[in-house]
Amino acid sequence: MDISERPSHIAWGILLIVALAAPVLVNFDLYLIHVGITIAFNVALATSLWMIWTLGVISFAHAGFMGIGAYASALVLHKLGLSMWYGIWVGAAISGLIAMAIAVPLMRTRAVYFFMASWAVGEVIKRNFAFFKDFFGGWDGIFDIKQPVLDLGFLRIDFADRVAYYYLALFFAALTIWIIHRMNASRTGMIWWAIHENELLAEHTGINIFRQKVVCFTIACTLVGMTGALYAHYQTYISPKSFDIWKSEFALVHLIVGGLTSVAGPVSGAITLTVIDELLRATGYFRTIFFGVVLIASVLLLPGGLETVPGRVRKLVSRIRQK
Amino acid sequence: MSDFLQMGLTGLSLGLMYALIAIGLTLIFGVMRVIQYAHGEMFMLGAFTLYFWHAELGLPYWLGVAVSAGLIFCLGAVLQVVLFRPLQGKNILYSLAVSLGLVLIISGSGQLLFGTTTKGIPSAVSGGVLISGAYLSYERIVISIVSIGLIVSLWAFLRHSVTGFAIRAVAEDPETAALQGIRTDRIHWIAFGLGSSMAAIAGCMMGTLLSIVPTMGFLATIKAFMIVIMGGLGSVVGALVGGLILGMIDSVVTTTISGDIAIILSFVVIFLILVFRPSGLFGQNWD
Repeated sequence: MDISERPSHIAWGILLIVALAAPVLVNFDLYLIHVGITIAFNVALATSLWMIWTLGVISFAHAGFMGIGAYASALVLHKLGLSMWYGIWVGAAISGLIAMAIAVPLMRTRAVYFFMASWAVGEVIKRNFAFFKDFFGGWDGIFDIKQPVLDLGFLRIDFADRVAYYYLALFFAALTIWIIHRMNASRTGMIWWAIHENELLAEHTGINIFRQKVVCFTIACTLVGMTGALYAHYQTYISPKSFDIWKSEFALVHLIVGGLTSVAGPVSGAITLTVIDELLRATGYFRTIFFGVVLIASVLLLPGGLETVPGRVRKLVSRIRQK
Repeated sequence: MSDFLQMGLTGLSLGLMYALIAIGLTLIFGVMRVIQYAHGEMFMLGAFTLYFWHAELGLPYWLGVAVSAGLIFCLGAVLQVVLFRPLQGKNILYSLAVSLGLVLIISGSGQLLFGTTTKGIPSAVSGGVLISGAYLSYERIVISIVSIGLIVSLWAFLRHSVTGFAIRAVAEDPETAALQGIRTDRIHWIAFGLGSSMAAIAGCMMGTLLSIVPTMGFLATIKAFMIVIMGGLGSVVGALVGGLILGMIDSVVTTTISGDIAIILSFVVIFLILVFRPSGLFGQNWD
């Protein structure tokens, strides 16, 4: 756990610079920029899931809440004719409100039962999108969700351009990471880790556990609702299948492969696994098989995840120096 | 009236089969405290073993069921020793991740090896009987009897045999059990193999009733988890009751309203059960 104790500003700085320079580095290749945008969404998804993990539980409803944000924003565009700049807030608000309402009963359950209860919530959300055909478009989903245009008078950016959307997604992912990092470093974050470590003890030190859990869940779902809105306007097409259990499960996999103790975990896990997944894209069925092998190997051979790699390297270097 | 009888009978036989899958899962969780997410893949592999044995090679049906159960028992035992033993005592998320990897590997290679077309296993028995207007095929009767027989014999095995006592002791407290001279490692792979072979037998039964595809494991996993959570993790009675509840919902709501509503409703029921009884219907308070 060396990495969480040492200042890692340099690593974050390098990551940000590389991410900012990425379109130039890949020579504006449209496919690679698409991969970059996918990475940004996956990072935002995994990081907000990690925020729930600081309470000690993993929510399988996370993709569902992403779906709520996406559908809300898409419907704001289609039914009200308002662009994403409004839709993203509506999506965040609806996602947050539903999350708060759901969290009140949901947080009664513990550990494994929480996985399943949240899974049920996610499935019901998805199935509702599929069932109400007139409003949500059924299994066919919603088409033609336009990218927004930023018009400041002197400056006009059309986000149908992929590079522009990349920077929007990057900005949003960075914002999510920053918010969650700040929350985690604050007193509130310490309270959540206290609940994670020992719920009974935390309760006896005067923490209102129930309220903290609901607050944490609501914030994480609000953030992921915004991610969903951005996702919808990038893909221009959403269907209930985009937000099924597999999306939540892959976010969980990103977390586990990356590491669970600091915000660096989900970020590194999401980046690495999205890149691996894209590299394997051409191999058909072998893609899922290789992905499974990578997953099992990383859990068994690299306990603690990718975030422990710098610490391991440092330990190795110091051992070599001593000899 | 006959409609309701028909729905009830279908629900009962469906529920018993669901319970068979779920009991294997609850056994694995109860003894090892790991989440076996690839349980449905065992179900799928069991069905495909029988398919190759009975439909391709033309060998006898009931022997095929036994062979399939035996093979999957070995597979489960090997998986436990190789993959799940190193995760013993760690956070439950790690076993979830490993078994998720297994799901990807097994269903991916299944699609590669068996193809994606649906296949069917010829039934062992044919014909049926009319009971006051409700049709009941002999096949369903046989399947229900086999399910009941297996569930009862597993229950008796856990209650009365020495190994069964050892399994329950390990489930209760592994350290104390080890101090009494029980080899917990051996109990672990036995329980894992037993649970997996239950799923394989359920797969054989289901395979004659429905068509089989390499992706069918995932749905079985979902059903099994829904049942196990509803009934309480580690509880055999809970799995039986949960299976019957889910089977009834599936049968009644699918025929009267629609399949989509049946799924939504069963998730809502689970959610409500968990809200009012956070450890399931028959579960012990577990952290």
